[in-house]
Amino acid sequence: MSAPAIPLGARLRRSPGLVGLKREGAVAPVLAFVLFFVIYVAINPELLTRFQLQTAANLVAPLALVALAQLLIVLVGGIDISVAAVMSLTNVVFATQLESASPLVAGVLAVAVGMGCGLFNGLLSAYGRLPVIAVTLASSFIFGALATEVLDRPGGAVSEGVTLATSGELAPYVPVALVWVLVAAALLWLLLQKTSLGRHIYGAGSNAEGMRAAGLNDRAAQLTAFVLAGGLVALGAILLAGSTATGDPKSGDPYLLNAIAAVALAGASFTGGRGSVVGTICAAAILGLVGNVLFFAGVDSYWQYVVGSVIIVAVVGIPVVVRRLSARVKGASA
Amino acid sequence: MTSPTSTLPGAPATPVDAAPAEAGGASLGHRGDAAPVLVAENLTKSYGAVHAVRDVSLACLGGEVHALVGENGAGKSTVAKMLAGAVVPDTGLVRVGGEPLSSGSVRTARRHGVQCAFQELALVPDWTVAENLCLPDGSSLRRFARGRETREAERVLAALDLEHIDPRRPVHEMPLADRQQVEIARAVSGDVKVLILDEASSALTPPGVEWLFARIRELTARGAAVVYVSHRLGEIREIADRGTVLRDGAVVSDFQRGSWTDDELISSMAGRTAARAFPAPPALEHADGPAALEVEGLAGEAIHDVSLTVAPGEILGIGGLQGHGQAELLRSLWGAEPATARTWRVAGKAIRRLDPVRAVHAGIGFVPEDRKREGLALEMGVGENLLAPWTRPHERGGAPRLKREKGWIDEVLGGLSVRTRGAKERSGALSGGNQQKLVFGRWVGRDRRLVLLHDPTRGIDVRAKQELYDAIVALAREGVGVVWFSTEVEELVHVCHRVVVLYRGAVADELQGERLTADAVVGAAVGRRAVA
Repeated sequence: MSAPAIPLGARLRRSPGLVGLKREGAVAPVLAFVLFFVIYVAINPELLTRFQLQTAANLVAPLALVALAQLLIVLVGGIDISVAAVMSLTNVVFATQLESASPLVAGVLAVAVGMGCGLFNGLLSAYGRLPVIAVTLASSFIFGALATEVLDRPGGAVSEGVTLATSGELAPYVPVALVWVLVAAALLWLLLQKTSLGRHIYGAGSNAEGMRAAGLNDRAAQLTAFVLAGGLVALGAILLAGSTATGDPKSGDPYLLNAIAAVALAGASFTGGRGSVVGTICAAAILGLVGNVLFFAGVDSYWQYVVGSVIIVAVVGIPVVVRRLSARVKGASA
Repeated sequence: MTSPTSTLPGAPATPVDAAPAEAGGASLGHRGDAAPVLVAENLTKSYGAVHAVRDVSLACLGGEVHALVGENGAGKSTVAKMLAGAVVPDTGLVRVGGEPLSSGSVRTARRHGVQCAFQELALVPDWTVAENLCLPDGSSLRRFARGRETREAERVLAALDLEHIDPRRPVHEMPLADRQQVEIARAVSGDVKVLILDEASSALTPPGVEWLFARIRELTARGAAVVYVSHRLGEIREIADRGTVLRDGAVVSDFQRGSWTDDELISSMAGRTAARAFPAPPALEHADGPAALEVEGLAGEAIHDVSLTVAPGEILGIGGLQGHGQAELLRSLWGAEPATARTWRVAGKAIRRLDPVRAVHAGIGFVPEDRKREGLALEMGVGENLLAPWTRPHERGGAPRLKREKGWIDEVLGGLSVRTRGAKERSGALSGGNQQKLVFGRWVGRDRRLVLLHDPTRGIDVRAKQELYDAIVALAREGVGVVWFSTEVEELVHVCHRVVVLYRGAVADELQGERLTADAVVGAAVGRRAVA
């Protein structure tokens, strides 16, 4: 296909995958993840043992899924404040339903509740034309109250089988949680990149007016993003319930800011229309594991938030600085 | 549309090379039947208490170009949007080929063969050209294959003579003129029975307009009807077979090819006798002071070794095709883009480092390319927008400031005849021409030495243009140096003292006096140096 005369580097630079990552601002987070992983393994080679891989995967998986959900909302130009509450609600729904129903039924029910929450947010935002942040802030109180109504203290009936299916090992060295995340991410990526609907989700955040003028339905795209996001959060909540073996009406709380941070780290545009699935997974992995690295490096774990913030600023800032410097060099040499 | 080999519906399947030749005299197109393709009956639309359109009826014949003219706010855009299905009329009906078009959906309209390109670019900036061209057709659950769509877009662009546009490029990275061509390409590549162009040429350069006319002639030769909304009378004279003049939302007159003059049309639009006259540039009487701008060897990302001198009170036009460095030149002179120069003086003072804040300090003013994005804070009031460059953080703002500056604000609003309800009106509520006057008005009566204008008359109506010309000349008469980039060659030729034409980021020619003609400007713009 391509002419053999083109050097490998140039061909790589022009490959559609890399161009896509670049366009979606995800090159820096992917590189940062590689660097982070190398440092992690250097500090703690034990990571590559079966047990540690499994715990690391269980730590990262729920955050990765919630971050993907947040990415969807950011793509259509909003920020979802209710992810934490939806996560708590679906978490306790799953844990309590396990008391009477089979794990499959409980899981489907939890995902349905998550999508229902997304539908509620989406209808008010896309068709009610209300600001996303106001809608999700309000709904987060509603969903949070519902969660405590369902289960007011940690409990539920998470069986060992469920724990194994969500946070065990599929095969040696292959944590199940990682597989769930990768399957969800791959499906989401296919939807966003390979269907018109996915491109519409990007378009709705980029220029909703333009989409309407071209005869496209931006509201349906926005609503779809909300519903899918609800489902992804529920999936994250199920994995969390499995790995902690309990349902907890406050379990989602730590995930709100971390999910927003992961989307920021992934290089997504908070005005909508730009953001990458691959970058978000990498960003979630970094943020989820910063605490571990510091622990193994013998640093007080309070520092993890500081280090996490430094990473965000560095990964988001370095490309900007590089671009500015190169512009100045070019300007001076011209 | 589920077949894996789906193509753009109706993309020109036959080679188009032959079409322009036989379509030269498109006015007498080939059609035999005189049944109109597009009929609008008694369209009415109100927004609240404002009657945007009142009882407008028109009929467009196949194979003809029907112009819709009127001042800004006359209702042209609303009519165009109702024809395109983007706006639902309160009463009235649009028929396409005899069938009533159930409107309110651009999508249904597109399916009926009504295609449109809007003035306020209806493209999605984060999508690539290919996505913008291909996504609007077909269902949303369809598979999207980037490679196939890109090839498809490449084919469409090649068929439309737009090889310079890369289908892989995101639209927001492209110059305005290219974006506008992509939007037109999307409209004309579909199955076109009726094409609606709402100010679609506003950012195009003369060759771009020629390109658009060639496309229009291809369509009319195939029997399609074209509704052409424009402020540029020259274009209307060339392309329109028939036309309708709107004023205050109602039809005031009709015209046909060859049966009108500029003055008649303008007075019909304005409801008063007016002449389209370019004011002459004022006599250079401040020439003894230091030059308003003196720059030698200016270089930046897209400009190379540009040297300019502007005397106080002089209007220096910048000509050339879009994308040859004019935007970068103005932005560099304003400090918004990095650039270096051997010598650089504004009003006699040497410039070492420049950014927009320092530029205001140095006595420079700037009217940017995109008034909505770069020019105004649309949610803020008219008065606050006028005051924007003049409010330092430690100074008073808001209502007390507006009160103190009332004299100046009223003077500017009155002097430029800005049609607004007052200094507190939201500037986003103003029409395009009046918004442009606000961006310009900031610099009036504020002791400026140099004002940089980026195509300030783009897409505004004839009367507003006239008023802007007068304002620019008045500014120069006060001794302000003006650097004015325009895509309308006639403006440069008539209102400027001198015109510098850029080609590939460098000065191709400097035209003055006898040599300053429209042909010379266009010639230099395409890289052909006129013989003196």
